[in-house]
Amino acid sequence: MAGSALRRLMAEYKQLTLNPPEGIIAGPINEENFFEWEALITGPEGTCFEGGVFPAKLVFPPDYPLSPPKMQFTCEMFHPNIYSDGRVCISILHAPGDDPMGYESSAERWSPVQSVEKILLSVISMLAEPNDESGANVDAAKMWRENREEFDRIAEKIVRRTLGIPT
Amino acid sequence: MPVISVDRLPLPNLKAYSCVSVLALSACVYYAIQAIKEPNWNTMSDTGRRATPNDFERYNPGYNGTEADARTVGQFVSDIFTVMIREPVCVWTMINMAFCWLILLGRAVQKLVFGELRVSEHQQLRDKFWNFVFYKFIFVFGIINVQYIDEVLLWCSWFSLLGFLHLLSQLSKDRFEYLSFSPRTPFWSHVKLMALLATIFALSGFMFVVSIFVGFFGGFNTFAFMSAEVILLSIRTLHIIIRYALHLYDIRNEASAPLNSAEESKVWEKRGPISYYAELCFDLTALLIDLVHHLHMLLWSNIFLSMASLVVCMQLRYTGYLFHEIQRKYKKHRNYLWVRNHLEQNYPMATGKELQENSDNCAICWEKMDSARKLPCLHLFHNTCLLSWLEQDTSCPTCRLVLDIQNPSSANMESPELQNDPQENVRRPFNHFFHFDGSRYVSWLPSFSVEVSHVQAIRQNHIAASNSQLDAMARQVQTLFPHIPLSTAVEDLRSTRSVELTVENVLEGRLTAPVIFRETEREPSTNHRPMSVLQGDVEPAGAARNWDEFSTENVECEDTASLGSRFSKSSSEREKILQKRKEHLVHQARRRYIEKQRASTRTELQS
Repeated sequence: MAGSALRRLMAEYKQLTLNPPEGIIAGPINEENFFEWEALITGPEGTCFEGGVFPAKLVFPPDYPLSPPKMQFTCEMFHPNIYSDGRVCISILHAPGDDPMGYESSAERWSPVQSVEKILLSVISMLAEPNDESGANVDAAKMWRENREEFDRIAEKIVRRTLGIPT
Repeated sequence: MPVISVDRLPLPNLKAYSCVSVLALSACVYYAIQAIKEPNWNTMSDTGRRATPNDFERYNPGYNGTEADARTVGQFVSDIFTVMIREPVCVWTMINMAFCWLILLGRAVQKLVFGELRVSEHQQLRDKFWNFVFYKFIFVFGIINVQYIDEVLLWCSWFSLLGFLHLLSQLSKDRFEYLSFSPRTPFWSHVKLMALLATIFALSGFMFVVSIFVGFFGGFNTFAFMSAEVILLSIRTLHIIIRYALHLYDIRNEASAPLNSAEESKVWEKRGPISYYAELCFDLTALLIDLVHHLHMLLWSNIFLSMASLVVCMQLRYTGYLFHEIQRKYKKHRNYLWVRNHLEQNYPMATGKELQENSDNCAICWEKMDSARKLPCLHLFHNTCLLSWLEQDTSCPTCRLVLDIQNPSSANMESPELQNDPQENVRRPFNHFFHFDGSRYVSWLPSFSVEVSHVQAIRQNHIAASNSQLDAMARQVQTLFPHIPLSTAVEDLRSTRSVELTVENVLEGRLTAPVIFRETEREPSTNHRPMSVLQGDVEPAGAARNWDEFSTENVECEDTASLGSRFSKSSSEREKILQKRKEHLVHQARRRYIEKQRASTRTELQS
């Protein structure tokens, strides 16, 4: 069914190119393989990630949009819902069947009407308000709860690094 | 998929190997030429196949075999061949040469059809190769338990041919899957791949004929052993061909879609079941044949109990796995049929009027709907799209309304449906590890270890969320206003209990996103004057330098921004535009960041 997945991805790419949401750019890394995208998302304003441009890789399954893509930040990240290797833990990216944390209702999970744009918008709002119940990165979750200043300092460092500005 | 790791096997490179083979062969040919110059070389044999009429000429030391001889070239060659057949060393050299030819042929096909292999293809090819060699080794020595070298040779050559074709078809499959990920594959490479697949298919048909022929003399068992693999090969190849054809059809359709979209969508609706049934039939047949083949082997080796219990054990394991696979496929198919019937009986097709009112595309595939099925929540989808989604989840994709698709067999039977199969949840992928240390027996035998791991898709129970309506509504609100966080929407919905009211609240400003989400309009500051005083003592040197760069880059960036509103037809141009847009985004973010820091340090200084 890679044919229909390809058509849908092409349509999404077109839409994201013609009407890009503020601060989001996404597209195939190389059009030889349309199932691997790179996305750039801008840190939401008023948060500790403000101003940063975070690159992430999206890998789509052959039966997309029936199954969700996988998303992984390719820059260094420090966030309660992002694993230390950059993988994003967010309910919209979980297939309806699996529930790793055991508390998500299926309504928040993946459905074929979701899209790359919606995923990226969700990730932006996740950056703004971490869900510290699902600790993908326990250290970050702990620091977010207990030592916000230190958390902000680390985030600031990451933001500078993504912009290529010496810290 | 069994995975084999071979580390200690020394593999010479192809060039050296073919050179050595050619040298060895020419040495043998030279030996044979020398041998037939002997006067009565043929009398040494007791076959007496040929008389030697030209003895006289052969006494002549200056005699040149090809020109002066009365014998024809054909005779000469057959003489040489006779000599070589008689000499065991020569026979081995010829076999070696045949292998070399096969490898070279494979390399040529690879160069011609595939070009450079990708790393994953390489890896898979190697795994498949060792896997094949290993299983066939067990088969020949462990199961058939061949006693004579001739038989071993025959089986070996049979399996090397078969393995060769297997590898090629595997490679084609990988390549096809890879090509199907890309929209811009040249037409020519499709043709080449298809031609290769057709050739493989034809050759496997030919091999099947051979196996019938051999089976005619060798008995039913031999026939069954030989043909099973051939049939498997041809089924797999045919499967790939059909999948490929469907895919090509899809792609072509896309190109001609605007012309006859109504007709296309009709075909599209039909295409879903076709590809589903093709997939199912091929998978099931392949699995069944594999199962029968393995059962056959098992019975056979049990009778003769030849090599070791290990072989039997492995076969049993694999047979069990095959059996399980078939069961899984069957359950999945039942689920498919059930969902399909349920769809057809409970949810009507949308009428033409409804379709007109709802001008949206299908939310699953984002394509135009000329026919659609309507769910109780009034959402419309393509029949095929909806079916494939409901197979894995029983809720409306848009509003998450839980549909009442309960397979009755799962409700009142002990062994429930695939989706609600408890076994399915508990089952873990099992591995087993086999280590073969050849040097323990004979010093030159290689050592290798095989790890057979079966990865199965673990499908988990779907728990119907009864209290998900609120979340679903919030999500609906969020699709309209992405800047409203889910939690805010849920809060509001708790009081309003209606999507419409919440939407109204948002529109009239009663419900606002937290401050962090409000977007402030920024204008690119072009009239910025560098403030040397500030730069000197507070800003890092690097940042200052960057800033200077940006003021010059600004001009260039402005016109790349306009590229955003175009979607080029050419993929290379699209890539270029995307790259520029990315750079532009980073540049702007950097500029803003520095600007902001500048502003904050300024206010700090002022205070």
